[in-house]
Amino acid sequence: MAQEFNAENLPFSLLEPNELALLQNNLDIGYYQQGENLITAGEAPEGLFIILKGKVRESESKEGEDEHVFVHYGDEDYFGAWSALKGKAIHNFVAEEETIAHILPTKLLLELVYSNPRFGDYFSRTLAAKTEIHEQQGEEQGMAEFMLAQVDGEVMRDPLIVLEETTIKETTALMREKHADSVLVKRGGRYGIVTGTDLLNAAVLKEVPLSTPVADIASYRLITVEAGDYLFNALTLMTLQHIERVVVMDDTKLMGVIELTDVLSYFSSHSHVIGLRIQRAATIEDLSRAAHGLNDLIRSLVSHGVKARFAMDLVAAMNERVMAKLFTLLVPEDILPHVCLVVMGSEGRGEQIMKTDQDNGVIMRDGLDWPDREKVLQTFTDTLIEFGYPECPGNIMVSNPYWVQHLGDWSQRLNHWANKAEGDALMNLAIAVDAKPVAGNPALFKAARNWFLRQMHNNEVFFSHFVKASLEFDTPLTFFGGIKSKDSGIDIKKGGVFPIVHGVRTLALQHRILETNTFKRIDALIEAGALKKQQGNDLVEALSIFVQIRLQQQLLRMDNEDFNESPNLIIPDRLDRLDKDLLREALKVVKEFKKHLSMRFHLDR
Amino acid sequence: MLRKFKVYKERKQHRDGPYGHLFEPYEGDEVVSLDCETTSLDVKEAEILSIGAVRIKGRRVKTSERLDIKLKPPKSLTGDSIVIHKIRAMDLSEGVEIEEALEQVLDFVGNRPILGYYVNFDINMLDKFLRPRYGFGLPNKAIELSHVYHDIVKWKSIGGDVDLRFDTIANKLNLPMLERHTALGDAITVALMYVRLKFGEAPKL
Repeated sequence: MAQEFNAENLPFSLLEPNELALLQNNLDIGYYQQGENLITAGEAPEGLFIILKGKVRESESKEGEDEHVFVHYGDEDYFGAWSALKGKAIHNFVAEEETIAHILPTKLLLELVYSNPRFGDYFSRTLAAKTEIHEQQGEEQGMAEFMLAQVDGEVMRDPLIVLEETTIKETTALMREKHADSVLVKRGGRYGIVTGTDLLNAAVLKEVPLSTPVADIASYRLITVEAGDYLFNALTLMTLQHIERVVVMDDTKLMGVIELTDVLSYFSSHSHVIGLRIQRAATIEDLSRAAHGLNDLIRSLVSHGVKARFAMDLVAAMNERVMAKLFTLLVPEDILPHVCLVVMGSEGRGEQIMKTDQDNGVIMRDGLDWPDREKVLQTFTDTLIEFGYPECPGNIMVSNPYWVQHLGDWSQRLNHWANKAEGDALMNLAIAVDAKPVAGNPALFKAARNWFLRQMHNNEVFFSHFVKASLEFDTPLTFFGGIKSKDSGIDIKKGGVFPIVHGVRTLALQHRILETNTFKRIDALIEAGALKKQQGNDLVEALSIFVQIRLQQQLLRMDNEDFNESPNLIIPDRLDRLDKDLLREALKVVKEFKKHLSMRFHLDR
Repeated sequence: MLRKFKVYKERKQHRDGPYGHLFEPYEGDEVVSLDCETTSLDVKEAEILSIGAVRIKGRRVKTSERLDIKLKPPKSLTGDSIVIHKIRAMDLSEGVEIEEALEQVLDFVGNRPILGYYVNFDINMLDKFLRPRYGFGLPNKAIELSHVYHDIVKWKSIGGDVDLRFDTIANKLNLPMLERHTALGDAITVALMYVRLKFGEAPKL
């Protein structure tokens, strides 16, 4: 009955043909009227339900409470697996509208789960496991590119070659100077290799005099690869031989050395190049070229299958370096120790991937007189715009004197916003508490932050007001299955990202956690016992999913040169089936988190 | 009316025979939705290409208990019906003989009521092949889907004729269109329509 049951969707696409036939031979179709329970909490469900047509809500109803709806399921969605495997349902599954659903009996579901481990894993409850499977399926392309990469100049280091008579001491000094991990030494017609470990062993363990020529301790059985060989082979060789470097030969000519770390960081090797360019930029023109390379970097990272979350870390670090470098180039040397450039908002959290709006400010030492500052800072803002960092629509930029303040005023203002506890003040505060120093004197920033955290300590009233914003937007969970809303899309920022980011921000402030990055804040909150481990991990996964999905659609729009839509708009219909699944699970996590927050801060919704 | 007389007569003859159970009144709550794909709409000259059937128990369409029979290609498989059913002779090359198919149908249906869309055509088709071999036709109670539909919606359509086309009914009942023109697909769709009409609210017109 392949014609009615769409087996192309995960997890059913994981089944082997004979398993699929078994599945299809055992499906029934059930008809349910509006309001009827497909699965009743506390009872054993009949099995796994796959909706053919209709809409079902998963909800919880306790006595004396309103029904709490977790999620809606629509056409082709499935549910009940977990309950079926456990033998007892925790939630009610109620037909929101007239529903027709395939039913796979529990007994058969169990058979399939045991016969096909991948299928089984898919029903494991945690989001993390699902992500894992998704990644395996999506990874292949990036992996293929990696396998086809060749040993060439890009990953190869120039060999550091020393003369036969060079002593251990001289060699060590030279390696240190050149930041090399190994040297090659020629004795007779052969090359030998000496690594840092070899030197250490010789000098410390064997107590060889430091004046001994390195040629005496070198190893002459070189493990080599041919230039042009696949990088993958080099990696395999290193793994097999338990070594960390191989020598590249072109026939008999020595070409260079490949280090294990270089191979492993191959994916981000471009980032390394750009990093170097930023570091070395002596003029604004140099820096501009490096900054423009960032977009390509992001694209290549994503196409190589680097997780958005890690790409984010890397790109944030790059953006930071660009700004720091520019600030250092523009601000006079004698002023620099008395000011601190901070980036705020998503930049402060290190959570933007594409170049996003500038959110920055300057804290100055109290009493600093810097007459030129408006001119210099205006240039700073303008140059960043030229580099491709758009203007901040809220004008939170150093070109705006409002965001260039002396330390005392800056701190006072944080306090003022906190006391006002409404609208713009709270928004400014939210942006400012994610601040991170990137250039100048970080002590200025730390003084302001620490003072503020002390002020806020134990101020429960403030935190209850502050956290409210994360409950402001509805979680767009009803999107799936509802035909009407299908083409309008959802705002992933309001619906998913913001509630997590702001909720975590509030908790972090309350527990005086200094990290600004949401992922790191979550880790720190778990550490501090302020979040349960499972909940923290779910939040991390959920946020990663939002970020990944948003990035995918952003890149797609860049390819189509479609700049009209907001970057936060996600069209669920453009997502593949599994992404949609993940998105829904992630939104579920958001909903739970909001519930948690409102209970914790005693907010009635 | 003619069919009823025949059934009475045949019941007398076969009540105590090996197929006597087919003639007993049905007590359970199951119905069998059945559909035949044929080479023509004229019973006299038509041949059966495939038979699909599915049991309905209460509001559940038991697609796990179903019949999906393809028959050996009849000689009369012509261009016209190929166009409708998209079944070519080669698709039927692995089919079963009509005798085997009839045996399976009798076994699957038993004495349950038979449901179909223009069900008399399907019953007549089967009877045409049953009688020469068994000496009787299907004695089962027949449920005509379009009548069930008509009875429910006629109160809502004052004076006008009710559109009884298959696609219209499926549409009005807001049912997903499963693959049309396969015997099993149609049997399942009819089963869903039936359950929907029996247990759901009357469709809006």
